[in-house]
Amino acid sequence: MTNFRISRKSLCIPYAVFLLFFVIAPMLVIVFYAFTDKNNHISFINFVNFFSDPTKLTTIVYSVVIALITTVVCLLIAFPVAYILARSKIKRKYIILLLFVTPMWINFVLRINAIRELMNWMNLLGEANYFNTVFGMVYDFLPFMILPLYTQISKIDDSLYEACADLGGNVFTSFFRVTIPLSMPGILSGVTMVFLPSMTNYVVSDMLGNSKVTIIGKFIETYFGTNWHMGSMIALILLIVVLLSSFLSGGFKQEKSGRTI
Amino acid sequence: MKRTASLLLSVALLVPTLFSLGGCSSNGEITLRVYNWEEYIDEGGEGSYDYDYDETGNADTRPILDKFEEWYETEYGKSVRVEYSTFGTNEDLYNQLKLGDKYDLVCPSEYMIMKLAAEGMIQQLDFDLTEKHNYYNDYVSPFIREKFENGLMFVKGESELQPWSEYAAGYMWGVTGLVFNPAFVDEEADLKTGDYSGWKALINPKYRNKVTTKDNVRDSYFVGLGILNRDKLLNLEKDAPGYNDELTKIMNDVTPKTVANVKEILMKMKENIFGFETDTGKSDMVKGTIHMNFAWSGDAVYAMDEADNQNVRLDFHVPEEGANLFFDGWVIPKDDKRSEDTTHAAHAFINYMSRPDNAVRNSYYIGYTSVIAGDEMFEYALDTYSAEEESEAVPYDVSYFFGKDAVIEADVEQLSRQLYAQFPPQEVVNRCAVMNYYGDEEDAINELWTQIKGERLSAWAIVIICVAIVGIAAFIVFAKLGHKIEFQWKPKKGYRLIKQEKVK
Repeated sequence: MTNFRISRKSLCIPYAVFLLFFVIAPMLVIVFYAFTDKNNHISFINFVNFFSDPTKLTTIVYSVVIALITTVVCLLIAFPVAYILARSKIKRKYIILLLFVTPMWINFVLRINAIRELMNWMNLLGEANYFNTVFGMVYDFLPFMILPLYTQISKIDDSLYEACADLGGNVFTSFFRVTIPLSMPGILSGVTMVFLPSMTNYVVSDMLGNSKVTIIGKFIETYFGTNWHMGSMIALILLIVVLLSSFLSGGFKQEKSGRTI
Repeated sequence: MKRTASLLLSVALLVPTLFSLGGCSSNGEITLRVYNWEEYIDEGGEGSYDYDYDETGNADTRPILDKFEEWYETEYGKSVRVEYSTFGTNEDLYNQLKLGDKYDLVCPSEYMIMKLAAEGMIQQLDFDLTEKHNYYNDYVSPFIREKFENGLMFVKGESELQPWSEYAAGYMWGVTGLVFNPAFVDEEADLKTGDYSGWKALINPKYRNKVTTKDNVRDSYFVGLGILNRDKLLNLEKDAPGYNDELTKIMNDVTPKTVANVKEILMKMKENIFGFETDTGKSDMVKGTIHMNFAWSGDAVYAMDEADNQNVRLDFHVPEEGANLFFDGWVIPKDDKRSEDTTHAAHAFINYMSRPDNAVRNSYYIGYTSVIAGDEMFEYALDTYSAEEESEAVPYDVSYFFGKDAVIEADVEQLSRQLYAQFPPQEVVNRCAVMNYYGDEEDAINELWTQIKGERLSAWAIVIICVAIVGIAAFIVFAKLGHKIEFQWKPKKGYRLIKQEKVK
């Protein structure tokens, strides 16, 4: 029998295989479809079609705007909550934290249906499609913003606030010079987790916007019924938008050692 | 040694899995891979015909697939196992077939059958194989038989157009129309005679935000054509011999000029409607959120039943100018490796589903109308729709479908309700056209749908938004390049501000 040993590195093999077959290979297939036509000849027709069609461009701009608004609203709601919860001295914080997370245990479609009923009851359904869509997205993604913020803020050492106060910093200074810089990693991961899915979560826009609001994810879905090549091209363009926005928000940069405690 | 043992064990565990993948297993059991719409077959149990009409208490309420397997073994002496899977849209089915998935029997809609035939993906049916029980040919309604024999389609590799009946056996059929709530919608004034009658009801400002249509291009395009050609269609001589052909021609018009006109109408419609839906329409109708919705007759029956349970009355109307006649049918995809036994089982499956009692079971379970006539089916219609003693009865002629003097003494209100949807009267089906596969124009029509559904904005608004986004991006990059953006706040009371000096 040959002598083969399991080293620590080989523990990575299952994930490497997973990565190869379920991440890299599909990505290559999408690139292939995006740059071929119906007869599988190499062509840039999908690329040209996308960028010469004002409707598609407008739709992707709309998706970005809807996702931006969703992210900002989520951040505005989540930050105070996460801050107060992390800084407060109350016992059994985890119960409150649990309350934020419990909706995620219920099926997403069910929750959106419930929101739809609520909107209907308030006579908003069919009247304010864009508002409804953003509302549904905020409702759906809020926990993804609160959790990373809470974890990050609760890591901040109290003595930093004391030092800030000792050196004459007022409330605002301590917020902008201590809290914000130190919770930046939490903000970034929260923003990433909210911004990206809200560009593609077309179930919300279909249910609450009655399919009169179209986000780019819906186009990908529709095209994958009739024209995989165009669908792949849109998916690829979305991927590039996502990569760019992650790059801008610094998702790829390693955390600076000085910023964490 | 241990490792060798575990390796052997895992191989031993894998072997049976590999064998079961091979299709036909060693004991000669036939595997029949059926691919059908979701919830489109009798699944037995509560809600099934056998369960609800059971008087003895020991009815066989197994799913119809189990019964088929048993029946096939008794009748033909071979055991068959049905591998049943489902799809959600015709396009899903097409993509699965294109990807190389193998099925022995699939159930697409009429236009998809035409598309599959045009691409040479389906084979001819041969009912001589099942000489003993030709239920399909014996019991299919004369109306459907006529449609299938006279309907012609292009088949790849054939120089002449072929009748549908050579390649497809019907399963369910129906018409499209409008479900409406008579408490809010006046049928006579708003659907039959007024300026916004028929499909135009969907662009009637009176029902702004109170109507819905389907979230798919084919149904919406048809509605658009109906609105565009309403006057032309109403002026056609309905009793003339070529009427239906003329209607079919108009409703299959996909010339660029027509597409452009339909686009304008659909844009207007999008402004007026409550929304596009795939299945929320039924419950929204019952709840009263909307007052009218585009519906397939099977869904209409379901919505009206559901509304009856909650004491809401809904009615169904098929526009005067014409509507869509659709059907789903069984076809056999081409597969060189398929054994003769499997082909035989596929035909037997179609026949078993076409046996009138089974057609009743399926129809009862899913709410659509079967293509099968036969005594059991007529009795079922009589049972369901004959007037109660105390209510006013009117004769309702369905002989075009059942092929004899078939008249139901129906409750008068059924003339615009479930009966009207499930077995539309002859004058209604006469003004219904089959919508063909768009052929080369398919991409253009799909693109039209993108334009309808997509967001629109004037050019300057796009520019402003783009500039704003680029601005934000530039700001972030600027901040990242080390130009620290400083906020200086006033120090607390009792402290004084010391100018910060750069530390080297």
